[in-house]
Amino acid sequence: MKTVDLVERIEGEAKLICSWKNNKVSDARIDFLNFRGFEYILEEKSPLDALIYTPRICGICGQAHLKATVEALENIYENINEKIEISNKAKLLRQIGLNIEIIDSHIKWFYLFIMPDIIKLNSSDLGIYAPLKGKRWLEACKTASETIKALAIIGGQWPHTSYMNVGGVMSDPTRMDLINMQNYLQIAIDFFEDSVSGVSLEDYLSFDSLNDLEKLDKDMKYFKDLCFKYHLNVYGKSHNRFISLAESNLFRSGKIKQKIVNKIDLSKIAESNEYTFSLNEKENISKKHTWSKLVTYNDNFFETGPLARAIISNRRFIKELHKSFDDSVFTRVMARVDEMAFLINDTKSLISQIDLLENSFIKPKISLNDIEKASGLSVVEACRGSLYHKIDIENGKIKAYDVITPTVWNLGPSNKKEKGIAQKAIIGSPNIEIAKIVLRSFDVCSVCTTH
Amino acid sequence: MIDSTQMVKKIFTQKSGRVETNKGEEYYNSLFEKAKSRLKSLRVQPALRDVDIMDVLETEGVNRRDFMKWVSATTATLMLPPMFAPLVAEATELMNRVPVIWIELQDCAGNTEALLRSSAPTVDDLLFDVLSLEFHHALMACAGHDAEHQLDEAMEHFKDKYLLFVEGSIPTGMNGNYGTIGPAGETFQEHLMRLSKDAAAIVAVGTCATFGGVPAAAPNPTKAVGVMDLVRGKPVVNIPACPANPANMVGVVLHYVLTGQIPELDSLLRPKFAFGYRIHDNCERRAHFDAGEFVEEWGDEGAKNNWCLYKVGCKGPMTFNNCSIIRYNEGTNWPIGAGHGCIGCSEPDFWDKYAYQRPMANANIKPPTGGVERTVDEFGLGLLTATAIGIGVHAVASVVANKKSKEEEEK
Repeated sequence: MKTVDLVERIEGEAKLICSWKNNKVSDARIDFLNFRGFEYILEEKSPLDALIYTPRICGICGQAHLKATVEALENIYENINEKIEISNKAKLLRQIGLNIEIIDSHIKWFYLFIMPDIIKLNSSDLGIYAPLKGKRWLEACKTASETIKALAIIGGQWPHTSYMNVGGVMSDPTRMDLINMQNYLQIAIDFFEDSVSGVSLEDYLSFDSLNDLEKLDKDMKYFKDLCFKYHLNVYGKSHNRFISLAESNLFRSGKIKQKIVNKIDLSKIAESNEYTFSLNEKENISKKHTWSKLVTYNDNFFETGPLARAIISNRRFIKELHKSFDDSVFTRVMARVDEMAFLINDTKSLISQIDLLENSFIKPKISLNDIEKASGLSVVEACRGSLYHKIDIENGKIKAYDVITPTVWNLGPSNKKEKGIAQKAIIGSPNIEIAKIVLRSFDVCSVCTTH
Repeated sequence: MIDSTQMVKKIFTQKSGRVETNKGEEYYNSLFEKAKSRLKSLRVQPALRDVDIMDVLETEGVNRRDFMKWVSATTATLMLPPMFAPLVAEATELMNRVPVIWIELQDCAGNTEALLRSSAPTVDDLLFDVLSLEFHHALMACAGHDAEHQLDEAMEHFKDKYLLFVEGSIPTGMNGNYGTIGPAGETFQEHLMRLSKDAAAIVAVGTCATFGGVPAAAPNPTKAVGVMDLVRGKPVVNIPACPANPANMVGVVLHYVLTGQIPELDSLLRPKFAFGYRIHDNCERRAHFDAGEFVEEWGDEGAKNNWCLYKVGCKGPMTFNNCSIIRYNEGTNWPIGAGHGCIGCSEPDFWDKYAYQRPMANANIKPPTGGVERTVDEFGLGLLTATAIGIGVHAVASVVANKKSKEEEEK
């Protein structure tokens, strides 16, 4: 038997096609049927124009795309031995902007996209978690909106800020701006303590064992209890292989197949469009079924995202959960909520490190328009996982632009050798509700299937 | 040589570039009566959502005074005289009588994100509790086939009554196969046509839905177009900008609740209350423009002192929108406030024509609204010459020289 279902309450829409055997999902396919063609649009454009285009790939992770573009353009300078200087202040402001965007996304994802489905397993009345009217749902929206204001102060607005530029950032915050940013982050801390975890941020950050699960209160406890009741600590397991491409204050880069290897060789990343629709209609033969490409590292599928980051960056609590529950829905969601706590804490500290006397922007000595031929690439950790940008320029124009989004890592189709990450995780689900929760645990984003 | 002082004067005083903020007593009195009877008839209709705005505000700790402050600001945003404030307050209470269906097509979800951050007395509540959002792809409780049923039911139940909000452009290439939706694989175009047929009016939100947006950037691989290119025989309101400002979304709904009609539109179907004037007209850095104080490059003294961004590519003088007044993220900030120029995101073709750091004087842009500025080339040059009093003749000479070399580069 085969079923076709739609997954809404994601960014865009995904089609989930399941085959069933003995009342379990025996095979799964995920189709993304939305395409815009950013990589084609960027060709022949002036390199700096990419700073306007790529953030608009996604309304959720525009900061990540902006940072990826600016750093790929700066990498071009490095590759032609014209290394440019970026002030520490500019670096901090970029990282702060990205962090805040991820915090905002984590809050919304947990409350708007994850909780309603989990609760529905148990009860038809979502109560305070009901979309559009539940008290907690509204509080979560409000907290996200307040938190993102900290980013609007330096970015101008959100979504779709454009404050990063090759050579630094355009914003020059005042002392008062920094204080306001801290105040907005405090709203996120209060929400995390009062509603998300029910423990103080400081206590939460010290969690390092399975027993600490018992200390959780409020929504994390509610979530945990429902997960155990409906076996979400068992469902959703995939290849148990993880990758995280970018480094930051908080994250380490690396991959794990059997053991953690912190060295990443970006040339081992390979994309394939074997199952991906083409712009040339004649090539769209029957085995092509989605707009998403697939991506492998050293010929293997790897899961990217908060769980990958937690394990590779050695965050104790999540590592302990992973030891007991592998890469299940429970571990994956917990890793994301856990990351929210670490990011809020980290961002507060980054803001306090800003030296207002430093320059925000230092003009590069030569213009990108004057570069005959060069390439640059960058990696960034976005809310959903690792993001990769590669730019080739020729005679001052973009010759080719390649974007690999986290969605492509986690939700792309399978290859001849093995199932894709989310596909493999869905197989074994006992019903369509669980199958959809498993799919959702990867934070599906159809608009990210960008090529 | 153009007399630049005269030109600048002409640009900012020409009638076609202005909004009539005072249409006379007779007009407002008749509108007032109309709105009163409209609200009266709405009040007797059953509420779609059983929520009292005052209860909502009270539980959220917003007092009557704060609410009235918001009401007077919104009344001003809608360009109505203060006597309309009580009616705007009443319309807010009656927003639960107007059903809204929101669909996403070829988009990035940025406008949904903006909507989630709309401003008002905690408008999260105002919008979500009071506005009858009958269907929203990303925000509603149900999903999958249930969601499809909910959409069909809402369309059936509110036939000819609902406002259809559309986010995202519509790909018309490859028989529409660049974007399909639902179990039957309906193309975005078919979906839009089906849903707009029974709508009272269609509100295109964001620059993708209005003018095609970034997906329509050259070479427009999916042949993306905006709603107004496809929908005929129905009122269409465009709320461009990337993202559209949620205050303007609320404004359009309130206006509809208040009058039963869509607001007065410009030639690009944008509500005049929001798009009737330029960013430049109300920019907080305008005084520096007038004084000839410009940021020459990012990070310089001018940048640190919040001088005018015109010479680093700000498109404010060419862009019709009210963000210089209402800003974004509940009034927190806007691009120019953070130090980067306006990119003209509420204008057609902004993605290709206004892109980034090309100073306006270096871009050969025809203003979409026609009439006022002729080409921006001329316009920008004129402005720069006008401000030469402030910046010195040699600066103008360098700009002109720079312009030539840039033009050659573009070729």
